[in-house]
Amino acid sequence: MTAYILRRFLHLIPTFLGATFLAFLVIQLAPGDFITRLELDPSYDRAQIENFRRLFGLDQPFTVQYAKWLSGFMKGYLGLSLSYQTDVWHVLKPRILNSMVLVISSIVFIYVVSIPIGIYSALRQYSWGDRFWTSFAFFGLAVPNFFFALLMLYFALWLKDTFGHEIFPIGGMRSLYIDGVDFFQAPKWRQWLDVMWHAVLPVIVAGTAGTAGLTRVMRTQMLETKMQDYVRTARAKGLAERVVIYKHILRNAVIPIIASIGFLLPELFGGAGFVEVVMAWPGLTPLILDAIFSIDVYILMGSISISVVLLMIGNLLSDLLLAWVDPRIRYS
Amino acid sequence: MSDIHDTNLREGLGERSQSYWQKAWMRFRRHPFARWASVVLLVLYSLALFADFVGPYPEAKSFRKLQFVPPTKVYFKTEDGRWTRPYVCKVERSRNPRTFKLEFKENCEEKYTIYFFVKGYPYKFLGFIPMDLHLLGGPWLVEEKAYLFLWGTDDFGRDMFSRIWFGARISLTIGILATLVALLIGITMGGISGYYAGSRVHIVRGLFRPPQKRAAVPGEEGAAEKNGFFSGGALAEGWREAVHERRVPIFLVGLVLQYAFWGAATAVLYTTMQGFLSISEGLERYLAMIVFGGLLGIMVWMFLFGRLAVDVDDLIMRTTEILAAIPGLFLLIILSGMLAQYDMPSSTRFLLVLTILAFVGWGGLARNIRGFVLQLREMEYAQAAKALGAGDARILFRHIIPGTLGYLIVVASLAIPGYILAESGLSFLGLGIQEPSSSWGLLLSKAQQIGISAIKERPWLFIPGFFIFVSILTYNYLGDALRDALDPRAEH
Repeated sequence: MTAYILRRFLHLIPTFLGATFLAFLVIQLAPGDFITRLELDPSYDRAQIENFRRLFGLDQPFTVQYAKWLSGFMKGYLGLSLSYQTDVWHVLKPRILNSMVLVISSIVFIYVVSIPIGIYSALRQYSWGDRFWTSFAFFGLAVPNFFFALLMLYFALWLKDTFGHEIFPIGGMRSLYIDGVDFFQAPKWRQWLDVMWHAVLPVIVAGTAGTAGLTRVMRTQMLETKMQDYVRTARAKGLAERVVIYKHILRNAVIPIIASIGFLLPELFGGAGFVEVVMAWPGLTPLILDAIFSIDVYILMGSISISVVLLMIGNLLSDLLLAWVDPRIRYS
Repeated sequence: MSDIHDTNLREGLGERSQSYWQKAWMRFRRHPFARWASVVLLVLYSLALFADFVGPYPEAKSFRKLQFVPPTKVYFKTEDGRWTRPYVCKVERSRNPRTFKLEFKENCEEKYTIYFFVKGYPYKFLGFIPMDLHLLGGPWLVEEKAYLFLWGTDDFGRDMFSRIWFGARISLTIGILATLVALLIGITMGGISGYYAGSRVHIVRGLFRPPQKRAAVPGEEGAAEKNGFFSGGALAEGWREAVHERRVPIFLVGLVLQYAFWGAATAVLYTTMQGFLSISEGLERYLAMIVFGGLLGIMVWMFLFGRLAVDVDDLIMRTTEILAAIPGLFLLIILSGMLAQYDMPSSTRFLLVLTILAFVGWGGLARNIRGFVLQLREMEYAQAAKALGAGDARILFRHIIPGTLGYLIVVASLAIPGYILAESGLSFLGLGIQEPSSSWGLLLSKAQQIGISAIKERPWLFIPGFFIFVSILTYNYLGDALRDALDPRAEH
């Protein structure tokens, strides 16, 4: 097992190098660089602009820039943001935390909602409830995130107009004031409560597609496991139906569901991305969108490299979890 | 004995023999939603094809003063309650004296009857047949006495109803085309990867005999070959093999490519090292010297004495892993964001978006196809083709790939909605299709641009979103039905 984990870890290194190099290459496709727009500004003279280029290493070939960036990354330094004029990590850290709030709550939401629905649907196959949830799954998979987010905003506005006060906040991540006190002066738990209140609608939007997908998987898993011989054996030896369902069927059916956490991540990153843009959640994706147009290389590289690392670790954990939960899986 | 024979005969007479595709077609038609999904898609595609005819206005026709006009009301009854031909009233712009907001009021002094199949704005059907027939309209529409905005107007005062059908052209075709391109790359890469899995390709062959490789006993058989300074190298070994197997020209071409690649890689590494050392100092500089020096040393040693062979399969699969390691949305927006900053005509941009979508999406397809090819290349018919002397390309593309056809159809039908979603998402963010072209995502983005609080006043801007939703939903249904139909395990 240790050897397996070690090998998987070593495997991540070339993937990381390749992915970051690809991202760096893609950023080079842009016309000009960050400094190009300064050239149009008459208040900067040639010498200053050359100085800037040298300062940010933009006068070097791009492989050198990449090597320099990589060497910085290994020291834990992500470079200077060109447009924010500060350390990239200072810009990224709050954004990543904000995105994580959304992604982690979405994961919790997805699992809490889809597993019970999947169990219900499988146990009462072809009942009206099952049909309702199956068609719900189809709708949930088909509705585009950004459209759903817009609808949710519309819904929040409608609630506000109907009841006279905000039942759900209309976009954003935190209120300016909590009970007349500035947000940052309020007690910690009130701050968290406020953020959670803001997160309700975004989490529903970001989690719907995942919930729909996982509900279908859960249902099929349960149906397949129900047909196994050992389930019949369990029934034949006279176990209570409850025990059969929860100990014999559910435990085996849920294995791949648990393990697919890691594979949900990339989709959630994307899904949450659109929600962040539409619902004004100050996460990673709006930052990236801003950085794209100013060609802020190091902000882009920083956010991509960190999300790549998160994604790879997620996948690795997922695989290990699967191997750990299911003794039938051998690692080779 | 005769009993068994009889039953067999009767069974054989009872049912018609059907091919795999006939059975699949039967199963497809039995699927509850397949028919509905096909009908809806057919309607959507024909509306897109006849967009010029269905929409009363041309794609780029804008009324500067009529921004965000709500949908024009169509009346079926006169004021005294009698049924009549549908008509509309003229919309007039005014400013509310108290709130200073623009308001649009109807002026029903004159009624403008809606005619069907009338002359309207001229257009070119299919791009080359000049026509001016429209589904809805009237002489008043072209003379701009009154307006027919069935689904309101956007921020440039353009008719949403017309633009949605023009947008359907892009939104609905880009999904299919991107899937085709992705399939093409996926089949080629996955096919090569699966077919050549396990066989190695040399990246570099050393020129000379490696120092440690020497025949233990000088008199041993083949010692001359092993101990010769040049003839003991990997290069000479490959040459002897090539001569033996009579494929010298291919070997030579491969050799040139190998050394070109190796030379380029060394040159890039060398310039990188130079540049890096010139802008670094202290510990970083020394570490970089060690790393770069070590890498260059290994490369030069490989060039002189070593050999490096890689599995093409490994190479391609690592590439797909790298593509999968970056969150799809980020790769998509960065790639199209960087390229969106160039000015280009709308047709080029369409091709660009299509290529980007295919480039980001081929990895998963390639992995799946590789799995299939790995199975199928061991099949008897593939082995038979090989025994008959068929070339690799022939076996792969004439014998193995057709075996995955059912799977490919299912994959394609399930990939199309994904690409439709991706395109509308990109256009929604302003990184895909750009004005003045239209696509559903771009049209929907108007709902977001005007600010959150204005959403409620302009709900007609949501309409394109419903079309994205419906097209994805129907494609999902279709894909599901196709999967049930084409899955050989579904045989009853």
